Amino acid sequence: MVDCAVCGTRFSRGNYGELATHFLTSAGKSDAPHVSWLNRNITRTRIDQEMLSGMLSEYYSMNGKGIKDWIIKNFVDHFRGPNPHPFILAMQSYDENVLRGYAIEHHHFLKQWIKSCSYVIAKTDFDDVQDYELENIMTELHGYGKDEPSHHELLIEMGESLGLDRKSILQSTPLPATLRAVHTWNRIASERTWIETMAAMHSLELVANRDLGRYGAKYPYFNPEILSGGKATAEVRAFLKEGYEADVSHSYVALDIIEKYCTPENLEDVQGSYLLSANAFSDYLEARLERGEMIENKQ
Amino acid sequence: MKTNNEEGCGLCNATWGEYHRDIQGEDMFFCCNICADIFQNMVDEVKKRTGWNVIDRVELHGNYSSGRECTAYSGNNQFKYYFRTYGDGRMMKFEER
Ligand SMILES: [Zn+2]
Ligand SMILES: [Zn+2]
Repeated sequence: MVDCAVCGTRFSRGNYGELATHFLTSAGKSDAPHVSWLNRNITRTRIDQEMLSGMLSEYYSMNGKGIKDWIIKNFVDHFRGPNPHPFILAMQSYDENVLRGYAIEHHHFLKQWIKSCSYVIAKTDFDDVQDYELENIMTELHGYGKDEPSHHELLIEMGESLGLDRKSILQSTPLPATLRAVHTWNRIASERTWIETMAAMHSLELVANRDLGRYGAKYPYFNPEILSGGKATAEVRAFLKEGYEADVSHSYVALDIIEKYCTPENLEDVQGSYLLSANAFSDYLEARLERGEMIENKQ
Repeated sequence: MKTNNEEGCGLCNATWGEYHRDIQGEDMFFCCNICADIFQNMVDEVKKRTGWNVIDRVELHGNYSSGRECTAYSGNNQFKYYFRTYGDGRMMKFEER
């Protein structure tokens, strides 16, 4: 099934004509999410159904490569290309309010993260998939004792080092954009297949991948001078370093698994679920900025 | 009000959509209600900061990602500013330049 990246409506396999009609109908009603997706991903210029169908088909085309390559290129385009996501731009300098916003909203992301990974485990019998997700849950939320705290613990400690209170992070109410994104991820995980859920979630880890220059990334996840400069707290450096210093080869393991189990039958489902998730992620990254702004305005 | 986006939406110049809104008593075309909201908020903010009654023309350069560098004109006066919004149109930052 080919999916609308905006609302998730599904059309029969390879049916870009119907997808184009769906977009034209939505644009005719000036529906903001569909129009802005067309503007940012396809073209700002109104075109007819046939031409749009061709451009959508091109957008989803694998161009002889695998799903791993398609996801990486699409992700780079969305978040770290010449027009990066505003959160990525904000991370090019050291801004404590942005990091405070990060600490609060990401707590809610990670709580959903382990739920999504658990759905993957529950929906498959493949050992390599289950092993991967089990280890992931441990690393992200549970940790391996005092010497190897979880990513979640490092996040909370970063927040504390910037003056936030642990309890206030854990008991915070997520901003609406975070909540909307979390609902999208939970819906994908509960209603769709394990491979779609994996693609939806693990593609997002590309945001911090430092190997993406060869795929056209123009911006690093954050300015590496933050790690060497004297401004950042030790806890900020510890949190950011965790992803930054991770083995590059390890960063593609999930995408390799997805590629291994991706078939012509489920390819479009995987693309569609990834795209829905990428849109939700874009929304969610704004919530980190918004939370930072809220904290700044309170001071 | 005139803008440098002559082909399409008053804010982003896209030619999708059929959205119209009254701005300063004049019918303007936008690709969607969010672009119209952003434009309306921007006009209100410029008027608030300058005390102008009417804006004659706005030049906008930029996009959603980087925000927009703008110049507004009213008679012989001009006002330079930068702004950026959230995806839903709410103002994130507005700075005089
Ligand atoms: Zn749709
Ligand atoms: Zn527009």
